[in-house]
Amino acid sequence: MEKHAGAPGGSDGAGPNRKLWGSPTSGAAAGETPESPSGSHVEWCKQLIAATISSQISVTPEHSTELRGKCSRTRFLSCQERASRPQVSQCHLFDTPPPPIPHVRMMMMRSSSFAVKDVMYICPFSGLVNGTLTITNYKLYFSGTDREFVLDVNLGVISRQETISVPNQGENTKGLELVCKDMRSPRFAYKTEEDHPDVVELISKHAFPLSHNLPLFAFLYKELFPVDGWKVYDPAAEYRRQLTISKVNSSYELCDTYPATLVIPTNISDDDIRRVAAFRVKHRIPVLSWIHPETQATIVRCSQPLVGPSDRRCKEDERFLQIIMDANAQSHKLSIFDARQGSVALTNKAKDGGFESESFYTNVELNFLEIPNIHVIRESLRKVKDAVYPTIDEAHWHSNIHQTHWLEYIRLLLAGAAKVADKLESGKTSVVVHCSDGWDRTAQLTSLSMLMLDSFYRTLPGFQVLLEKEWISFGHKFSRVGHGDENHANSERSPLFVQFIDCVWQMTRQFPAAFEFNELFLITVLDHLYSCLFGTFLYNSEQERAAKEVQTCTVSLWSYINSQKDDFTNPFYVDYQNHVLYPMVSSRHLELWSSYYARWNPRMRPQVGPPHELQRRVEELQREASSSHSLSSSSSHSPTHTTGHLCTPLSDTHTHTHTHTHTHSLTHTQSLIIDCVYDI
Amino acid sequence: MFSGKPIKPTFKCYLPPVQVWEIVVNEVNFVKKCISAESSQDDLWGKLICTNFKVSFIPQDAPTKQKSKLSHLLLGEHDIPLTCLEQVVTVNDTKGKKKVLGSNQKLKFNPTELILYCKDLRIIRFCFDEAGPESAKKVCLAIAHYSHPADLHLLFGFEYQGRRYHETKVNGSKPRGGFQTPNFDRPSDWDREIKRTGASEWRVCSINEGFAISSSLPEYIVVPVSLADQDLKTYSIFLLDSRIPHWCWNHPNGSALVRMASIGDPIQQKKIEQRIFTAITKSHPQRSEVIRSDLDKCLPNIQDIQSAFFRIRQICVIDPFEESDERWLSSIENSRWLEHIRAFLKHSAEIVYHLDGKNASVILQEEEDRDLNGVVSSLVQLMLDPHYRSIVGFQSLVQKEWVMAGHRFLDRCNHLKKNEKVESPLFMLFLDCVWQMMNQYPAAFEFTETYLTVLSDSMWIPLFSTFLFNSPKQRRKHLMDFTKNKAIPQGEDEAVYFPPVWDWSQQFSTKDQTLFNNPMYVGKGAACVQNGEVKTFRRAKKSYSSTLRGPSASVRNGVKGGEDPFPRRGSLMSELRSDFSPMKDESPSERFFKDWFSRPADQQGVLIPLFMPSHMALWKLFFLRWVPEACIPKGGSITAYHKLSQLVDEIEILQSHLRRYKGPSPGGTPLPSPSGPISDQRRMYFKASSPNDPPTPPDFLTSSFPFSPMGNLCRRGIHGTPISKFLNGARIWLSTETLANDTI
Repeated sequence: MEKHAGAPGGSDGAGPNRKLWGSPTSGAAAGETPESPSGSHVEWCKQLIAATISSQISVTPEHSTELRGKCSRTRFLSCQERASRPQVSQCHLFDTPPPPIPHVRMMMMRSSSFAVKDVMYICPFSGLVNGTLTITNYKLYFSGTDREFVLDVNLGVISRQETISVPNQGENTKGLELVCKDMRSPRFAYKTEEDHPDVVELISKHAFPLSHNLPLFAFLYKELFPVDGWKVYDPAAEYRRQLTISKVNSSYELCDTYPATLVIPTNISDDDIRRVAAFRVKHRIPVLSWIHPETQATIVRCSQPLVGPSDRRCKEDERFLQIIMDANAQSHKLSIFDARQGSVALTNKAKDGGFESESFYTNVELNFLEIPNIHVIRESLRKVKDAVYPTIDEAHWHSNIHQTHWLEYIRLLLAGAAKVADKLESGKTSVVVHCSDGWDRTAQLTSLSMLMLDSFYRTLPGFQVLLEKEWISFGHKFSRVGHGDENHANSERSPLFVQFIDCVWQMTRQFPAAFEFNELFLITVLDHLYSCLFGTFLYNSEQERAAKEVQTCTVSLWSYINSQKDDFTNPFYVDYQNHVLYPMVSSRHLELWSSYYARWNPRMRPQVGPPHELQRRVEELQREASSSHSLSSSSSHSPTHTTGHLCTPLSDTHTHTHTHTHTHSLTHTQSLIIDCVYDI
Repeated sequence: MFSGKPIKPTFKCYLPPVQVWEIVVNEVNFVKKCISAESSQDDLWGKLICTNFKVSFIPQDAPTKQKSKLSHLLLGEHDIPLTCLEQVVTVNDTKGKKKVLGSNQKLKFNPTELILYCKDLRIIRFCFDEAGPESAKKVCLAIAHYSHPADLHLLFGFEYQGRRYHETKVNGSKPRGGFQTPNFDRPSDWDREIKRTGASEWRVCSINEGFAISSSLPEYIVVPVSLADQDLKTYSIFLLDSRIPHWCWNHPNGSALVRMASIGDPIQQKKIEQRIFTAITKSHPQRSEVIRSDLDKCLPNIQDIQSAFFRIRQICVIDPFEESDERWLSSIENSRWLEHIRAFLKHSAEIVYHLDGKNASVILQEEEDRDLNGVVSSLVQLMLDPHYRSIVGFQSLVQKEWVMAGHRFLDRCNHLKKNEKVESPLFMLFLDCVWQMMNQYPAAFEFTETYLTVLSDSMWIPLFSTFLFNSPKQRRKHLMDFTKNKAIPQGEDEAVYFPPVWDWSQQFSTKDQTLFNNPMYVGKGAACVQNGEVKTFRRAKKSYSSTLRGPSASVRNGVKGGEDPFPRRGSLMSELRSDFSPMKDESPSERFFKDWFSRPADQQGVLIPLFMPSHMALWKLFFLRWVPEACIPKGGSITAYHKLSQLVDEIEILQSHLRRYKGPSPGGTPLPSPSGPISDQRRMYFKASSPNDPPTPPDFLTSSFPFSPMGNLCRRGIHGTPISKFLNGARIWLSTETLANDTI
């Protein structure tokens, strides 16, 4: 692999091995990714110079076909010249929020792009910027005219538009605030002219395509990746080791929000299952999520039973749970974890819902996990946004974060998941998890406890399977994100998936070596939760997705991720096989995920969390190793039989063992380091 | 569980390292050390001993060797040096009585419990249910008495080092090596520092030889060339304890960092300061102005720091866990500890701006020049000079700005427990500031947070000359008496007969010392050792040059943005600006920082920490390592350290192989270290591919590693035990503050 970043002399960084696909790079990194020296330091570099690059391009859609080549070349120029010419646009590095969402190939957007000149971007960090606002059907793009400045906002991220007042500007100047789902609200001022179409309308049309009877952008995006991400999750393969795969829902006739492939106990008739379905809200019957490979204890998920105020019973449901309990020979108990607050569950009972009565279900113990509902979580994240954007009240930083209660809810969720995992691991007891509908808190709890229990889910492919299975196939309502929908005040919206990813991030902080993926991966997942670029998080159920032909008409996020795994790999990953990892659910160890929530604030940006720091350390090591490489290659010019000598240590048994072990156990980045040493 | 009378154990076989010269003062058998309040299952039974050095607990069952712990060569797992005791509390839970024991006090009840609050934040509890009430009482009183020594000489270090000196002489073993750290007690150390930093306009001055003018300054100080000894003598009368301006460090651009005491007499003040400033200006190659920074006016004072530390300690280790967890972030904020940390970092960064960005010399002033000046001057040097981020460099910095500059370690640590009012964890505050920088720039330091933690713990072990004295003069006097009393020949090197803490082999094995090495620092450290300091400095100089550049054109035009080349568009801009621009008054220093942060940091160049409150983090290893409830099994940053160490070890092995087979290099420059690292000399604690260190992080790694919260009192499930009833009734009881005023 070529190492551009460090190589002196090669001023044209666009190497011959450039990837053929434009990369919808995510997170803080913008623009296309050239063939890179193994994702490590590159990402940080990208983040830092992203603004510089973009500002140097100053693209107008007409030149867009040249964009990719030019962009990557510029990137390398600045990468190399950083040390010698730090003055290049340094202020912009600091001023400009990093363009978060990828440049999709400009070509595709040309058809519908529109440029508005004389727009002011009211930057909360560096004041006013004068420039041109370009709106396409995927994003809006603001570039400064008299100052190098770029702002890049993916339209999918917009929650709503608001008119703001621009004082003393006369009648034809309007102010616009774009309230975004990703913790920022850029503001613009522009002059309306008669021949201009209305900016608000234009943005609204493409930001909320569904409200305007237009397709989501994912259906227009036709990037080809060498990997097909739609194939990462094969339910049959995932359940192979497990119980019977039932065909009862093969065409979604039993439950329209469940996947076609379900695993349920064998010895129960289809008629009984239908009766159980009738007794569970939205027909979401108890189905298998995970089975312990040794004890056979299972995690089962479902919705609340329709007990109602009159304490209805369903013999089949009771038997169904009995069978689940009996399937595990290690324990004669079954634990039901109801995610809700006990009081809320009681209220639900009055409204025909409810919970399993311990007196009707024998040997069952019921626990309430006291997790608040989606509205509370939404409100909490809104407070987090207030605390971090656009300005941070530095004097009361900690107490402001405390008052959002966000970390408290993170703690409740992690504590609940740890209880589930512990019941399975230490208690060897099967558990049933539900909330009201069984698609929000239930998904959070089951997937988090599976992450604690099973090291497979802590790998890059494993985590994708986890999301595909527990969230996507089991019908988490991704409409909570509000894809392409202008109804921002919809009370059904809630950042539950964000909360879940935050919990995962908390775990990666506590176990920095136990996860194969890195922080950039988690941020990328969240960015594309909103972007509508990929089909992965669109729609609420497998049935809906099948109807919209998502798998054939859109690209999977995993196609992109798995085509450049290096960028998303944690170089310190060690496979903790068969290790159950319980996070410490104490406020002492929970932190606000500043590098995600507060990333738009330039003051927060240089604060690199340990994952990035660790990656940079590896890069240090690489330099060390490659310097020894250059040392040795220079000596090979000498007339002595250096090569012959050098072969000796390599065949030396001691060293050999090292090579052997490491090629097997090390990640790509690490073997690269070793390669550098060996590569003589 | 224990039933009836246990068989009296024999201690001989596994006697912990009770020092040969240690005197056992008192002891009691059948004592229970409480491990967890939840159940007595894990409690240990054994013997509680008070010696003239430490409180020792010898478990009846042979201790299982804990791999998860840094093992101290002089202290066992259950040992607490007497100097480490913060408070000795006796309890009788049946009578509901408690008393904080001081020296020479009486105890009117038989204690059923003894709780020891330690300065390293441990809390240890012993129960005397099965022990003889009288002997229990005696041990408690002995511990209280011996932890309040009447005189510095009674600290065990004097006894220990005297004996050790003769012992090793008799055995003919050579005095221990490893004293690379300069003491700054002789002119040559200062000369070397002057040369290293290129401070050609500064000279070593011996005016204070024999502590003639100041009792708290070192004998040799560095002053501007243009100031004659006679002038200095004249000025010295007006300065507190004659602490005349003395040089700390020189920037490659010629700016100097100087510290001095305040001048009391306002009439003289202006005149003398004028002369001093002129002299410092003369020593600057560009004759730059001198900037004065009065630290008393802009930083928290020592009492503020003490009470903030007291509060954060309360929150972290004393308050009931669940309760403090509820309002964690707010409590941390209210303690103001992080706020103080931030104030020091921020102020130091501002000094960096003057030295580096404005090319001006800075003089730090503080009434006594012995507390805040030490923190700020050492932080500034740490930010500006990568040399101090190496282990030897850091130690020389502490030696120069703390030990020799006359920081009152004896008073601030309150080793003699005489005056709590002068106690203040200033050095601890400094270490936390260093940790904050390390947390932000983990590849910039040769040492680890384990090193910093162990260094802070060493303050409470009275065996090293580093933290025992208030001033170089006091140190000299005591060590002179010491040599007389112990018949140590004159002219013997002080470091031989009374070693500083920097001789780490006194405390830890070579293997354990590798935990101090930061794997990320690879290469730089090696180059430093091989090629000497000059090389390191030259490299540093190179990196300075980039920071010396003035703000570029783009900064000036871009940020200010006032002059707009396009008036047509500008009209909207200028009108809007007054309403929307948050950039109203950006100070030059703000611009300097903004400019600096906009560039990727060179870990071997100038390093400025981010100093917003949101960037300050709690130093968890230090504050939470003894809290069992907060310990993450199999987790913590140590797991990444483990992985990285193995990787670095691997690389070093490979490199040494390469070197061995390469032969002499053609260029004629000798290759560094021809032989590869021998296995026991390897720099990394975790070794690559050894059977002891499998690739998977071992189970004993926790977020507390290399410390273990095992053995420290866990308060989680306190309900249900007799003591808990008592505790519940008087929760406030756990607060040492209340206890301090309480006498029965």
